[in-house]
Amino acid sequence: MKRSLIAAVDLAIIGLILFFIIHYANTKMHESNENQVEAFEKMTVSAEQTITNYLEDEQHLCDIWANYINRSAQAGTPLTGEEAISFIRKAKISPMIYGHLIFLDDSSKKGISTHPSASDPNDYSVSYGNINLFENREKISREVGVVSLTRAYTNPQNGIQSIAFMNYVNVLDEASGAIKEALLMRVEPVSVLEDKFVFLKGEYESVEISLINREGDYLVHGKSLKNSNFFEYYRSYNRLKVADYNEMTKRVTSESGTMTMQNSKGEECVISYTPLRSVDDWFLLAYIPKKDLAANTVVDWLLLGTVILGLSLLIIFNYLVLRSYNIRLTAAAKAANQANEAKSHFLSTMSHDIRTPMNAILGLNEMVLRESREEETLNYSRSIQTAGNTLLSLINDILDFSRIEAGRMEIINVDYSFVSMVNDLVNMVSGRAQDKGLKFDLDVDRNIPMILNGDEIRVKQVITNILTNAVKYTKEGSITFKAGFEKEESKNDSIRLFISVTDTGIGIKAEDMKRMFQAFERIDEIENRSIEGTGLGMSIAQSFLNLMGSHIEVESEYGKGSTFSFALVQGVKDWKPIGDFEEAFKKSLSDRNKYRERFTAPDARILVVDDTPVNLSVFESLLKYTKVRIDKALSGDEGISFYRREHYDVIFLDHMMPDKDGIETLLEMKEISDSPNNGTPVICLTANAISGMREMYIREGFDDYITKPVDPDRLELMLLHYLPKDKIASAKESEVKEEKDIPDFISRIDGLDIDVGLKHCRSSETYLDTLKVYLDSAKGNADEIEKYWDDRDIKNTTIKIHALKSSSRVIGALGLGDLAEKLENAGETGDVKTLEDETGELLSQYRKLAKALEPLNDIRDDGGAKEKPLISKRDLKEAYEALSSFCAAYEYDSVVNIMESLKGYSFPEDEYMRFEALKKAVLNFDYEEIPTILTGGEK
Amino acid sequence: MKFKKISSILLTAAMAVSLVSCGSAGQKNSAEFSPALSTDTSCSIRVVGSYSNFESLESEFERFYEYYPNVSMNYVYLDDYNNTITSALMSDEAPDIYVTASWMLDDEKMTPVFEKAEVLSDQKLNINLDCIRKGAQWKTESGDTIMLPVFTRSFGMLVNMDLFEKNSLSIPGNYEELVKTCEKLKELGYETPIMGANGTTVAGMYYSFSFPLFCNDVMKNKDSVNALNALEGSAGELMRPALERLKTFVDQGYLNPEKCSEEIEDDYNAVIMRFFEGDVPMMLGSGDMVSGTLKRESKSEAFLSNPFKYKFFVVPSGDEGGYFLNSVNLFFSVNKNSKNLDMTNEFIRFITREEELGNMAAIKRLITPTNDFSLDEVYSSLEGFPQERAFSYRETGLNDAVGKEFRAAAYKVANGMITVEEAVNSYGKLWD
Repeated sequence: MKRSLIAAVDLAIIGLILFFIIHYANTKMHESNENQVEAFEKMTVSAEQTITNYLEDEQHLCDIWANYINRSAQAGTPLTGEEAISFIRKAKISPMIYGHLIFLDDSSKKGISTHPSASDPNDYSVSYGNINLFENREKISREVGVVSLTRAYTNPQNGIQSIAFMNYVNVLDEASGAIKEALLMRVEPVSVLEDKFVFLKGEYESVEISLINREGDYLVHGKSLKNSNFFEYYRSYNRLKVADYNEMTKRVTSESGTMTMQNSKGEECVISYTPLRSVDDWFLLAYIPKKDLAANTVVDWLLLGTVILGLSLLIIFNYLVLRSYNIRLTAAAKAANQANEAKSHFLSTMSHDIRTPMNAILGLNEMVLRESREEETLNYSRSIQTAGNTLLSLINDILDFSRIEAGRMEIINVDYSFVSMVNDLVNMVSGRAQDKGLKFDLDVDRNIPMILNGDEIRVKQVITNILTNAVKYTKEGSITFKAGFEKEESKNDSIRLFISVTDTGIGIKAEDMKRMFQAFERIDEIENRSIEGTGLGMSIAQSFLNLMGSHIEVESEYGKGSTFSFALVQGVKDWKPIGDFEEAFKKSLSDRNKYRERFTAPDARILVVDDTPVNLSVFESLLKYTKVRIDKALSGDEGISFYRREHYDVIFLDHMMPDKDGIETLLEMKEISDSPNNGTPVICLTANAISGMREMYIREGFDDYITKPVDPDRLELMLLHYLPKDKIASAKESEVKEEKDIPDFISRIDGLDIDVGLKHCRSSETYLDTLKVYLDSAKGNADEIEKYWDDRDIKNTTIKIHALKSSSRVIGALGLGDLAEKLENAGETGDVKTLEDETGELLSQYRKLAKALEPLNDIRDDGGAKEKPLISKRDLKEAYEALSSFCAAYEYDSVVNIMESLKGYSFPEDEYMRFEALKKAVLNFDYEEIPTILTGGEK
Repeated sequence: MKFKKISSILLTAAMAVSLVSCGSAGQKNSAEFSPALSTDTSCSIRVVGSYSNFESLESEFERFYEYYPNVSMNYVYLDDYNNTITSALMSDEAPDIYVTASWMLDDEKMTPVFEKAEVLSDQKLNINLDCIRKGAQWKTESGDTIMLPVFTRSFGMLVNMDLFEKNSLSIPGNYEELVKTCEKLKELGYETPIMGANGTTVAGMYYSFSFPLFCNDVMKNKDSVNALNALEGSAGELMRPALERLKTFVDQGYLNPEKCSEEIEDDYNAVIMRFFEGDVPMMLGSGDMVSGTLKRESKSEAFLSNPFKYKFFVVPSGDEGGYFLNSVNLFFSVNKNSKNLDMTNEFIRFITREEELGNMAAIKRLITPTNDFSLDEVYSSLEGFPQERAFSYRETGLNDAVGKEFRAAAYKVANGMITVEEAVNSYGKLWD
C-alpha cells in the first residue's frame, strides 16, 4: 500500500471520528436546544397562568366595586355616580389605580374619576370621547368573574398608558331620579402589568413578554418587537407566502406553541405563544433571541481539539513504529528479492546449460533418424528422441510454471489452422498410445471452422497435457479425443470450442479431485511412482485456461476412467469446415515416420553465428533439404565480417558467446551503415528459455528468437515466415528419399534442377549414372560442337546441339537445354547470326556444368564411399599432423603411405575436398603444396 | 519691529486655529457619529407621539443601539394625543421625547407642553441644528430651538417618468413648458394630463397647483399679509393671478375636476392607486400623499404588472419655474425633566444629522428637513432647488384661515361655481 494511500485512510478514519463527534454533539445540542425550546414554551404557559391569575384578581376587585354599587341599587338605595366614585375612592388601596365611571349613553363618553385631572386638581371629570375604546361594548361582561379588559390606551386624565377592567353598574341619575347603567372601569397603568413580567422572566435574562390582541396590536410589548402590530412586524422581516402567513396568524391566535422568526436585525429568535385563558382575544408572546436560548450552540471545541490532537499523536506514533518495521521489512524483502533473483538466475542458467547440450543431442539424433537405414540404430535413436523430449517437456513445465508464478505468462492470439493443431496433437499422442497398446479414437466435428484465432501454443499445450496424462495413466483400453463447437451467440465471429479427452485409465478418487490442479501434487504417488512427471502439468493447463477465461472440468470414476473437458471461446477467421478429420488423419498416419521439409529455397541465403561448431553443424543439417545456402561463423567478429560483405535473408545469432556475445554483436552490426543487410531479420539463438526472454530479446533489437535445442519444425516455420516469399518453393513429395543419395555438391550446382532430373530418371541411382554419362561425354561433345562450328558445318553443329538439348533436359539442366533448343532452331532455319552470337555462350555454359559435375568422377573412383568407415576426428587430426610433419621432413614416401591408408576411410563432407586436393597434390608430386592444403590456405 | 513680527505670527496662528476649527465643524456633520456618553450606559427612553406606527423612528433606535447597546428605546402611541400629551408630560410616566407640531405654538392649551421642552440650541448639547434647512428651522421668540424638525411636507405632483420617457417628453420647467407639455400629452391621447383629488383639503389638487404661486405673490407683497390674515375683502386681489392660471388649465381641459371626482374618491389612498394605474402623466398632491406610495406599490395590481418609475416635482406654475413651498410636518421635543435627559439629548444629537434625518424621511417617504435629498430618489428633483423660489409656509406669514379661503376659492372657480372675479371679490367669505 502506498504511503499516500495509508495517509488517506488515516485521514479518512480521523475524519469519520470527527464527523461522528460533531454529529453526535450536534444531535445532543439539537436535543438540548429542543429541550430548551420546550422549557421556554413551558415558561410561557406558566407566565400565562400568572398573568391570568393577576387579571382575574384585578377583575375580581373591579367586580367587588360593581357588586357593592349594584347591590345598593338592588336594595333600593342606588348610589349616585358621585357616591359610587366616592365609595371606590375609599375602597381602592393604590394611588396608581384609577376608578372611572363612564356614562356610555353620552356620546362624549364622559364620566367621573376617582382622581382629579393632572392639569386641574379640581377637575374629576373624565372623557373617552376621543379614545376609541368601546367599539365592542356588547362584549363587556355583566357577569362576575369574567375578565373584561380594555386594550392598552392612554388614560385621558394622566396621559399614562393603562389598561382597564370593566363591569356594568347601576347608579342613580340625579337629574331624572331614574336608575341608569354606567360602565365602571378599574384603570391600571400598563407598567404595573409590565412589572409582573419582570418576575415571569425567571431564568431567561433576555426574554421579552408581549400581549397582543387577535389583530396583532400590542397591549404590551418589549423593545425588540417593533411596530404597533406584531403581525405587521413579522411580515416586515420574514418573507412568507400568504397561505403560510395566514396559517401563522391562526396558530398564534388559537393555540400554544413556538416558532422562530427573524427580528429587525435579521437575527433568528424564538417566539413562544399561548392564548390568555382569562381574556378572550388576548395572546401572550414570549420573545427571546435564539442565541440566548440555546446555550450550547457550538460543539465543545476543547473536546474536539483534544480528540484531534490525540488522534494526530496516535498517527504519528504509529507512523514512526510502522516506519521502523518498514525499514526492517524492506531489508528482508530486499534479501528475499535477491534470493528470488538468484533462483531466477539459477533457472536461467540451468535452462541454458541443459538446453545447450540438448540441442546437440536432439539435433544430431534427428539427423540419425533422417539418415540412418539401420533399424537398430533407428530404434536407439527413437528412444533418445523420446527421452530427450520428455526431459525437454519437464524443463518446459518448470519454466512455464515459473512464468505463471511470476505473472509473466501472456496470452498471444494468432490465427491458426485447427486441423494442423489437432494433427500435431494426435501425431504426438497416437504413437505413444499405440506403443502402450491403447486404442486411440477420434471424434472431431467435421464442421469446426478451418482457421481459428487464439493462443495456439497454449491451447495445444493444454490439450497435450491432458492427452499425455491420459496416455500415462491408462494401462489398457482406449483414449477418446473429442472436439466439437457451437457458435457464440453474443459474438458473430467466435465459436465455443468443446474439447474432451476420455480415458479408461485408473481414474481419480473423489478426495483427490481437489488436489488435481495443485502444483507439484501427484495423485496416487505410490501407485504411480513409475510414471514420470513433475506434477505441474494439470496445474499449468488449468492456469492457461484460466488466463483464457476457461477451466478444466473433470468427471472420473476411480478405477474406471476419467473425462477431462473444457470449453473455450476462439475467434474464427475462416468458417470453411475442416471436413472429415479422421480420414485425413488416418492417411497422414501412414506417413508419420517420414520427414519431409516444408519448402525449398535454393536462392535464399542465411548466416548462422554460434561459437559451438557442433551446433552450427546441426543447424546446417536440419536445413539441408531446404537447399538454403548457409554461411557459418564461429564468433561474433566473424559474423560481422560476413555481415559486411554478403547479403543474407535471415541471420541467426547465438546469444551466449565468448568475447562478443550475441547482443553486442547485434549492436555492432546495426551500427554498420553500408552493410547489404540493413533490414535483414536477426533471430536470436538461445538456450535461455525462462519467462521474459522474448521481451528481452525484442527490446535488444532482435526480430525474434528460437530456443535451443532447435526444434526442426519451428526452425522451418520461422524461415517460412522470414524468408522473402519469392525465394520459397514448395517441396516435392518424391525428393525426400531419393535426395538422400545425391551428393551435396550436385544440389548446389547453378542451373541444375535436381527435381527435374530425378523426375526424368526415376531414381537417384539412375540420375547419378545419367549425370556420370553426361559428364563423361561432355568434353568430347563440346569440342566436337566447337569444331563443327569453327568449320561452319551448320548441319552437324545442329545435330550435336539437338543431342545436347535432350541430354541437358534429362539431367535437369533446363537453362542449358533451352539455349540449345534456341540454337537448334537457329541451325534448322539457317539463322547463322544467332549461332554466331550464342554458340560461344552455349559452349561456355556446357563446359561450366561439366566442370561442376567433375567430382562425380571421384565418387566413381571412390568405389562407393558409403561402404568405407567414416574416419574419426582424432584419426583425421593425427593423419593431418603426420602428413604435415612428413612433408616438413621431405619423407614423401611416408606421405604416400599415409594417403594410401586414408583411402580406406570415408570422409566427412567438409574434409572431402581437402582430401581430394591432397590426393591430387600427391599424384602430381606437388608435396610443397600439401602444408598449405592442410592449413586451409588452398583447397 | 519685533512686536510686529510677533503679532503677525499670532495672527497667522489664530487664522490657522480658526481654519482647523472650521474644518472640524464642517466635518462633524458628515463624519461618523462619536458617542459623547459612556457607551455602556443603561437606561430606558420613551418617545410618545400620534403616529400609531413609527417604523422610521424605530429604525433610528436600532442605529442608535449600535453605539449604546444597553439603551432601551420605546415608541408609544398616545390616544387622543393633543389632549393627553399635556397630562402625560406631567405624569409619573412622562415621556422623554414627544412629538410636537407647529400649530401647537399658537395654541394656549399647549403652552405647558413647550414649558417642559428642552432648549436644543443650547451650545452645551452640541446638537448640529445647522444641518436643518433655513425654512424648516423654528425658533422661539428668544431665539431658542425647542422643536427639532423631523419631516417636512411640500405640495406638487408625482410624474410618471416612464410615460414621459416613452413619449420623449422632458419634465416641464416653467409655466410655458407646462402648457406645451399638457398640449402635447392631449395630442398623444392623454385626455387629462393632470389629475388630483377634487377637494378643498391641502392634499387636494388646487392647493398643490396654485397655492405656492399665490404664496410667492404674497412674499413679494409682504405688506398685504396682515389684510389677508384679517380676511379683508380687498386683499382677495392677490389671489387673482393664481386663480386665473387654474381657470385656464380647466378651460383648456388640462384639468378636469368632474373626471377627477368620478375617478378619485379621496385625497390620499385613491389618488395614489389612480396614479399607479399608469395612465396619468402628472398627479397633483401633497408630500403626505407621496409618503403613502411605497406601501401601496404592492397593493396595486396594475403597478405590480406594469411597474414604472415616478418622481415628485413642484408644479412649474410660475413663469420662471415652480415654487418649493414646504412646511414642517413633525417635530421632536425633549422633556427637560426626563430622568435620562443626557441620553435623550444624546439621541437627539445622534439623529440631528443629514444621514439620520434623511434615513427617517426616506423610510417614511416624506421630505427631509435637511438640504440633502439624495437618500430618496422620489424627491431628487428638490436637490439644488433655487433658493429664491424655496420658502416655508411660515415665512409667508400667512395664517391657516388664508389657506382655507384660497382653497375654497380655487375649488369653486375650478368647478365653475364662481368666476375668478367673484372669488376675488368674495375673499373672506369663501370658506363654508
